[in-house]
Amino acid sequence: MDLISNLSLGFGVAFTVQNIFLCFIGCMIGTLVGVLPGVGPVATIAMLLPITFGLDPTGALIMLAGIYYGAQYGGSTTAILVNIPGEATAVVTTLDGHQMAKQGRAGAALGVAALGSFFAGCVATIFIAAMGAPLTKLAQLFGPAEYFSLMVMGLVFSTVLARGSIFKALLMVFLGLLLATVGTDLETGQERMTLGIQQLSDGVDFAPLAMGIFGFAEIIRNLENPEARDVVRGKIGKLMPSWAEIKQSVPPVLRGTFIGGLLGILPGNGAVLGPFASYTMEKKLAKDPSRFGKGAIEGVAGPEAANNAGAQTAFIPLLTLGIPPNAVMALMVGAMTIHGIIPGPQVMTKNPDLFWGMIASMWIGNAMLVIINLPLVGMWVKLLKVPYRLMFPAIMIFCCIGIYSINNSVQDVYFTAFFALLGYILIKLGFEPAPMLLGFVLGKLMEEKLRQSLILSRGSFMTFVERPVSGVLLAVAVIMLVIALLPSINKKRDAVFQE
Amino acid sequence: MTDTDIPAPERSSARSYRLTEDIAAGLFLALIAAFFLWQAWDLPLGRLRAMGPGMLPVSIAAILGAGGLMLALAAFLKGGPILTTPHVRGLFFILGGIILFGLLIRTMGLIVAGPVAMIFGSFATSEVRPVEAVIFALVMTAFCILLFKYALGLPIPVVAFM
Repeated sequence: MDLISNLSLGFGVAFTVQNIFLCFIGCMIGTLVGVLPGVGPVATIAMLLPITFGLDPTGALIMLAGIYYGAQYGGSTTAILVNIPGEATAVVTTLDGHQMAKQGRAGAALGVAALGSFFAGCVATIFIAAMGAPLTKLAQLFGPAEYFSLMVMGLVFSTVLARGSIFKALLMVFLGLLLATVGTDLETGQERMTLGIQQLSDGVDFAPLAMGIFGFAEIIRNLENPEARDVVRGKIGKLMPSWAEIKQSVPPVLRGTFIGGLLGILPGNGAVLGPFASYTMEKKLAKDPSRFGKGAIEGVAGPEAANNAGAQTAFIPLLTLGIPPNAVMALMVGAMTIHGIIPGPQVMTKNPDLFWGMIASMWIGNAMLVIINLPLVGMWVKLLKVPYRLMFPAIMIFCCIGIYSINNSVQDVYFTAFFALLGYILIKLGFEPAPMLLGFVLGKLMEEKLRQSLILSRGSFMTFVERPVSGVLLAVAVIMLVIALLPSINKKRDAVFQE
Repeated sequence: MTDTDIPAPERSSARSYRLTEDIAAGLFLALIAAFFLWQAWDLPLGRLRAMGPGMLPVSIAAILGAGGLMLALAAFLKGGPILTTPHVRGLFFILGGIILFGLLIRTMGLIVAGPVAMIFGSFATSEVRPVEAVIFALVMTAFCILLFKYALGLPIPVVAFM
């Protein structure tokens, strides 16, 4: 079996002392930023990019990946104990998780969340390993038109998934695409809209943009709307769920893993949708739906499995197609290109140890995370008691050092301040920044593929519709947009995001 | 990322002329689009079968501008939540802190830039306790120097003024 020999190659790479250590560090940092509300994996990974310059690419990616899925575990701890989602994907967990905590069952909720996530992580690891090869083959059949249409679908998806108005999210996508056109034109070498600033001739850098918006603008937003922290004072209770609770949780975990994993593959950050879909499904399937929102263990088990499965399968579009489905993956692209690896179907053949090593490390990381999260939960709770007035200056200094160190450039620091201002204005005006970031991330590649397709088709846009795969992808995008805009669905969508 | 619900904002009716969130949002995007159109105006457009460098920036900016105006117009007709006042204090001290860091990191080094940026930034909240902020900034800077300079070996200037 190919799969087994590939995985054993992967484990061989991942089980070196250095890589286990890096995986552990990544998972620790991930849990930390997951637990702390107001710091997310995007700002963290941007901040830590310079540290990875000195590592070998496999080690660097193992660590960065650990931060990303580690944050999913940490986010649920905060959701359960403090009723604030530490991460966006843990929003749903606050509903029943925090209720369980109030009833003195915090330990059981934490246990189910961690074990459910672990199970989902294991399945997702095998899934990536199994799907990687076929999808890579498929990707090799993709021409520029198919790539373009796939990215259009991803962007449409990201607007449908953003909270708030779809129209405003769509405008954010265009703003992101516009920002991506700054810099030297790929084909003619002409400088575009660089305002004579030399650094802009390579285009707007992603790290200052991401850090400005997800690091600093977020801080200002948090200062503006201080959140009430409702830390559970009582005992956490024993961490192992009872046998009855485990039995109750198994089916939701299985379903959550399946839904989350499937949605995670979709470009356009499908992973955020997983927990919502799983929660809705569990509520529909339950014999007594009224228990939900009052501490139903299924409402923790399903969504937690879904968010972790989705976080991991989100690597599939990146590793097989070279298309980053969200901002974290875009930073991974940055980390890979720094080391001279171009993400895409060729990674698996050219750098098999990186590809399989990273996948194997995810399994190891998931096992570590159960230990990091369960027995050490007391430590994380203490950390949550650090007041925000101390937390944000610390985040600030880390971000400043990180952004300066990426290129040893003072200008990057000023760019970050500028994007923090832009990000704050956008948030203030009711825009969701995530679609903009995705538009920016995909912009350059989309322009390249669009121009290539039109050269091949001699300027006819029909090529996108006539080529079957491309046509289907575009049709899916249109259908999705139309469905989301239907008044009845739109109301339901609002309800989902308000829960 | 956190989502705290902003207390229900006032709504403006179609008749009143108060600035709603979406009017401001639409105009802001239109302004950005106009700026990009102005900057990209001289770039050759090319034709569809061989696009020039200006084709995409101009078309995207045009779409963005039109969309922004539509958003503003719809909000003008329908009304919506009133724009709330920005958190000027937060903006001033956070952005100021970043800029101070940028100004000082090369000239003075992290040993000065770190505490100055952190202490300045600490005042972004009204809950600031000055003595605590100063001590915390010094301790954190020391920690960062040890971590980034010595443990991780980043080439960040620590003492630049000597």
